[in-house]
Amino acid sequence: MITYRFLKKTLTFILAGGQGERLYPLTKDRSKPSVPFGGIYRIIDFPLSNAINSDLRKIIVLTQYKSLSLDRHIKTAWNLFTRELEGFVDVVPAQQRIDSNWYRGTADAIFQNIYSIEMEKPEYVLVLSGDHVYKMDYRKLIGFHIEKNADLTIAAIEVPRAEASRFGILEVDAENRVRGFEEKPANPKPIPGKDESSFVSMGIYVFKTERLIRYVSEDHRTEGSNDFGKDIIPRIYSSDRVFAYDYVARESAFNYWRDIGTIKSYYDATLDLVSTSPQLNLYDRDWPIRTHMEQYPPAKTVHNDVTRRGVAVESLISSGSIVSGGSVYGSVISPGVRVNSYAEVYDSIIFSRVNVGRGAKIRNAIIDKNVVIPDNVTIGFDRAEDEKRFTVTEEGIVVIPKSYIF
Amino acid sequence: MSTILIVEDEQHQRELYAMELQDEGYTVEQAANGKEAVEMVKKTKYDLVVLDIRMPEMDGIETLGKILSRDKKIPIIIYTAYSNYKSNFMTWTADAYITKSSDMKELKDKIREILAARSK
Repeated sequence: MITYRFLKKTLTFILAGGQGERLYPLTKDRSKPSVPFGGIYRIIDFPLSNAINSDLRKIIVLTQYKSLSLDRHIKTAWNLFTRELEGFVDVVPAQQRIDSNWYRGTADAIFQNIYSIEMEKPEYVLVLSGDHVYKMDYRKLIGFHIEKNADLTIAAIEVPRAEASRFGILEVDAENRVRGFEEKPANPKPIPGKDESSFVSMGIYVFKTERLIRYVSEDHRTEGSNDFGKDIIPRIYSSDRVFAYDYVARESAFNYWRDIGTIKSYYDATLDLVSTSPQLNLYDRDWPIRTHMEQYPPAKTVHNDVTRRGVAVESLISSGSIVSGGSVYGSVISPGVRVNSYAEVYDSIIFSRVNVGRGAKIRNAIIDKNVVIPDNVTIGFDRAEDEKRFTVTEEGIVVIPKSYIF
Repeated sequence: MSTILIVEDEQHQRELYAMELQDEGYTVEQAANGKEAVEMVKKTKYDLVVLDIRMPEMDGIETLGKILSRDKKIPIIIYTAYSNYKSNFMTWTADAYITKSSDMKELKDKIREILAARSK
């Protein structure tokens, strides 16, 4: 039996300040980590669930922009521990204690919270992004970090080179020690022998505490962007012990990771969940994904006449939803949604408490919370018409913002 | 000629440091606490700050943060009788942390080293 004593000496920060501009209008009133995902979750539930499933118990969520909805979510869903047992999930808004500015970059966010590190005196600090949908056993990551006696360990994954420009590109030696690093280059280096792939940083870091403090306090003295990827890693990788943790190779059970950057990738990642064997398995009892959900009655389908039949096929239907004489195909439906008679919903993502009116037809759409779709309205069939009112992506996904009034 | 700001609440100590550093050829100005120092840094561009930690009004830790938020590049040496403030991570942002000694040699050497590196 392996004992993970180091977990008690690890402090976890989740950086949850992401604005998610490219997810607009889903991020109109919320930060990226609190964007709903998969019917009942929010994006931040994934790193938080991973942390809890990895037996980490000291977790600080750093928020800043539009943090109300996130704050409320974490306080209701994640208030799991008591201080007496030395566990906590704290939400810390940008306090502007040391500095009157918002966090400039990821390293600045940590620097501005060095008081928390001082109080906890951890040996290791795990830094996560609140923006990613994935499963990871951080025990393995931290175990690797300790085994390598690393100053910094960066979790890394292979991605198609065509998509790699959004990430920090790593070059590693046979031991997985980082020998090269370039943040978001226009022309990412391929993995040797694999021309079409690059090895990229997942923005997940483990530090020896003392090194982390040195890095961020030195970095505080510079005029840069105060970011781990842009400033600190390029500065330290050649002199310090920086290692890459090969996520897919090390965690055979998990191999799914998405930095949901755009509406298109959000849409694809969500609708993948309705496939027969989704890449992201939400049904794994060994690695449950937690969230907060209001108490709702079970989902219901009603009416069974030839022309007026309540059906949902290849879809996720959350509690409290009623498909009443309408039909839902290949879609993800959040709690408290109503699909009324003769309405048809295809390949769409419907957020909580949306009402789809009688005879409405919806295709390729994301409909944010509380929207009332009037009877017989058509969305997703006539691009020119949709563009007059809504955001329509290049690929033709229509996004209707929260509480939109027709 | 480099100008150094000494931030120290004990008047006789402050004056002693000032004399010693003037002997080294520096121009020296003095602040009796952190608040004064922050105000002075707003008005004048110093080449280096020597900063005590335990002071009334505003301690050296807070002062350090405030000075850096105005000027990230200004060299700051913490000069204190106590070594235990190293556990306060804010002190890690200083260019040096020197424990006070009677002959001030370490301080003088460090000032010379930092200013020489800056003038390169």
